[in-house]
Amino acid sequence: MMRHRLLRHGGLFRLGGLLAAAGVAISLSACAPGPSGDTAAPSPTNQASKDISSAGQVTLTVWDQNVDGGISKAQDELNQQFHQKYPNVTISRNAQSFSDLKTTLKLALSSNNPPDVVQANQGYPDMGAFVAAGMLRPMNDYAKLYGWDGYYPEALLKQNSFSPDGKTWQGDTLFGVSQTGEVVGVYYNRQLLSSLGLQPPKTLSDLNSAMAAAKAKGILPVAFGNLDKSPGIHLYGVVQAALAGAPTVDELVSGQGGAWTDEPSLKAAQQIADWSKQGYLTPGANGVSRDDAVAAFGKGGALFTLSGTWLQQTLQDDLGPNVGFTTLTADDGKPATTGGQGLAWAITSKSAHPDVAAAYIDFITNATSAQTLVDTGNLPTVLPTGYQPPQGTVAADIATQYRDVQKANGEVPYLDYSTPTFYDTLTAAMQELVGGQSDPQQFVDALQKDYASFLASKK
Amino acid sequence: MNVSRTERIVNQLILTVFAAFAVVPLLGVLLSSVTPANQNSGGFAVPESVDLGNYAEAWSRGNFSSYLFSSVVVTAAVVVLSVVLATFAGYAFARMHFRGSSVLFYLLLVGLTLPTEAFIIPLYFNLRTIGLTDTYWALILPQTAQSLAFAVFWMRNQFRGFPGEIIEAARLDGCSDLRLLWRVVVPPSLAPMMTMAVVITMWTWNEFLLPLVMVVSDAKRTAPLGLAFFQGQHLTDYSLLAAAGVMVALPIAVLFFALQKRFINGMVGGISSR
Amino acid sequence: MTRPVRRSPKAYLYVAPAFVVFAAFLGAPVLQTVQYSFFDWDGLGASTLVGLKNYVAVFTDERLRDSFLHAGVLMLFYAGAPVLIALFLSALISRSHAMRSMSFFRTVLFLPQVIATVVIATIWISIYSQNGLLNQILRLVGLESLGRVWLGDYTFALVAIGVVGTWLNIGLCLVLFLSGIGNIAPELFEAARLDGAGRAREFVAITLPSLRGQIAVALTLTVVSALKTFDLVFITTRGGPGNATTVPALEAYNRAFNTGQVGLASAIAVVLTVVIVALTVSISRIAPREAE
Repeated sequence: MMRHRLLRHGGLFRLGGLLAAAGVAISLSACAPGPSGDTAAPSPTNQASKDISSAGQVTLTVWDQNVDGGISKAQDELNQQFHQKYPNVTISRNAQSFSDLKTTLKLALSSNNPPDVVQANQGYPDMGAFVAAGMLRPMNDYAKLYGWDGYYPEALLKQNSFSPDGKTWQGDTLFGVSQTGEVVGVYYNRQLLSSLGLQPPKTLSDLNSAMAAAKAKGILPVAFGNLDKSPGIHLYGVVQAALAGAPTVDELVSGQGGAWTDEPSLKAAQQIADWSKQGYLTPGANGVSRDDAVAAFGKGGALFTLSGTWLQQTLQDDLGPNVGFTTLTADDGKPATTGGQGLAWAITSKSAHPDVAAAYIDFITNATSAQTLVDTGNLPTVLPTGYQPPQGTVAADIATQYRDVQKANGEVPYLDYSTPTFYDTLTAAMQELVGGQSDPQQFVDALQKDYASFLASKK
Repeated sequence: MNVSRTERIVNQLILTVFAAFAVVPLLGVLLSSVTPANQNSGGFAVPESVDLGNYAEAWSRGNFSSYLFSSVVVTAAVVVLSVVLATFAGYAFARMHFRGSSVLFYLLLVGLTLPTEAFIIPLYFNLRTIGLTDTYWALILPQTAQSLAFAVFWMRNQFRGFPGEIIEAARLDGCSDLRLLWRVVVPPSLAPMMTMAVVITMWTWNEFLLPLVMVVSDAKRTAPLGLAFFQGQHLTDYSLLAAAGVMVALPIAVLFFALQKRFINGMVGGISSR
Repeated sequence: MTRPVRRSPKAYLYVAPAFVVFAAFLGAPVLQTVQYSFFDWDGLGASTLVGLKNYVAVFTDERLRDSFLHAGVLMLFYAGAPVLIALFLSALISRSHAMRSMSFFRTVLFLPQVIATVVIATIWISIYSQNGLLNQILRLVGLESLGRVWLGDYTFALVAIGVVGTWLNIGLCLVLFLSGIGNIAPELFEAARLDGAGRAREFVAITLPSLRGQIAVALTLTVVSALKTFDLVFITTRGGPGNATTVPALEAYNRAFNTGQVGLASAIAVVLTVVIVALTVSISRIAPREAE
């Protein structure tokens, strides 16, 4: 490029010096970026109302991450049904993958025309940050109006709540409600399992024996693809819950006690490191996408895959009656696993149509929508009464497990909720653990470091 | 001075090997894009049957018709703005004398070396404050600014080399400065201006970071940005991704084949054309 | 030829539009980046002046240090390898400008440069996938055991991205050098031949020095592209696995728009820019002095 010719003249250095000086001068003049003063969470300015038809022509911009097979179909159907009910409202849907939404939602929310309705991930990294920045509209008034406080289990509502300043999770202010219930567990291939002469595993040691048996017969024990990073959270979550029991992990994640360096968590890390070394996981897992691993399982290429109920429809399509689902029990005999609910549907504070947004959210999460959800192979947060899919199907397994785990209070929140940076910390650490780049002690140390500094900063 | 036969064959061989190296991945994506989805496992393979449906699906369900439209709008605007503004400024730097011309020119040159990262952060917050994020202007104006560094430099060069006698003659005829520029100087300079336009077209069309930060709504997404998110949702739909990729790259590739020399000359800043 | 020097105030009108756009959307923001780098700001609320804290972090935070290290590795692949390979090839290919098929080769070799990086990333993701072209080739030559998902591998992910850069830039360098060789006066080669110089000496004594300008251009373009890398890493690995492929541009983006560390992101951007400018200036010293 010609520019190098002129760069060699002293002119550019003089210019550079000038610019640097200007830059320093500007900053020293105490010209601070950003607004001055605090941005407190805005309190709702409208009276909550159920009247939508008189709102005139409204386009509701919705951002969601319901891209998996079953839920995507459900979402489209529900959107259509809503438009039929309220012809004056058009839904403009923007669907992205979970990791893409994580990357783009913050920018979208802070822009000048953010979406009206968004799916926000619970916990400190996402919802907490959004609430602290005043981007989400508190929903306690709508909860009363639509009866959400009576419809959902208390524990689930708490997960979707924060203190008004976003600093404390599970506070008193509700910021969203969830459409789907979720449980993370063990999907198994029925045919392969019976060919090994085994029953569905109920404990971690059952799981280990089954995996050893599979490996001996040349079957890949666990299909695990960690390229997208989030599957690592679920793999560790299942093993840790089975070793530590639900109450312990629950306390840990909500910051009430315990440390990531405690023995059960360390043992869980050791277990996964062992699995990786023994070749029980998909080779090169860090480079395999979740979809690829699930597809491999769906083609009968592995005995297990440890994932959540959001895969119900996908695996039903692939394996039909040949797939089953189970959860593990901890040493105290109670089921313990990661789970709870899907991402929360929230209203943005800048939305011009909060009433329409609330009506929409109610529509897609209420008992009527629950039927659409089960019809398309999904698990609604609150199961329709008398919902019992035919025996021997994965839908039946999932429904049973969901009910059982909830009854026994065996659900622990997703581990990434623990601190604002925990998603990044945990996923990176899991990739290193599975890839053999770190040992279990280093793994738990990394987690504890993040956790401890967050707890310290909250005091 | 004659190139002997063996020399020529050796040359051709070496060049063919490296040309193949350059082209095989691109050929692969073309083949992949017409492979029926269930036959595609991500490798390089000649498909048994040709399926053009992937393109149709990417166009409609993948919303690429909208993404390509956005790209066209933004690119056209940037090119037009850059050419017009750079013609005026380049002419002034080349043919007019005014105080501070060297300083101003140096400032523009500094812009050539700066990566997007050097200014995109405050740019986002500035545009957010005045409410311009998520509009085409948020893409057009910054990219015009980036192109101007190159464009003004280029036009100044062109106009410097313009025969002074013609300008003098036109002035003596009483031609105003404006007419002089656009009626006398520009028409013979259209070829190098075309070169510049073509390079700016490519840079603007291919830009990814700026739209990633500025654009929020699907309607304003440019093609590369659309492809990135499309990819996130269809990680293993190799055929569909290939078709989408071809659609995004094809306009510039076609332009390139049509105007090869201009492209190459423009991109390396005129050194090859001497 | 003397001409009266006419100071035309009209010139300012001609320059103004371009300059206003440039200053508003590039110039001022650059200065602001420097300004932001001295503050702690989450992009939403108020900011606090923290002096040099962010710059200290750039040099002490392991992840940020690594990102610059990775950029350095990429420089070897994006710039070092293509330039060396292209120089070697240029030595082998003699008097190619006399070949009629040269323009065809030039077009094909240059083609990767005009394709959008996002498309290139998509292409190479499939090449590096489990059943992709690379593993197919390894299988063909019997090295199937080496096959893996390259972009998910801790050791090889960064190298894999580097190879994409090499692929991108070989054509560019080759085109540059071959056209540069075409400009060398044939008499020089004749004289060398008469003196009994072999191919190697001919290359070192005549070709290489004449190519200094092109080498400088090639190095500048490729080194800067290595440091600026964002698109490719973002699409292929997002900096993973773990932090194995993170680069400064990615860190700056992530911290500015995701984790709410705008000041730190600005500091990263400033350091990156300084490195780019410093390298550009140093490389330009290779170029021969040209008459102004």
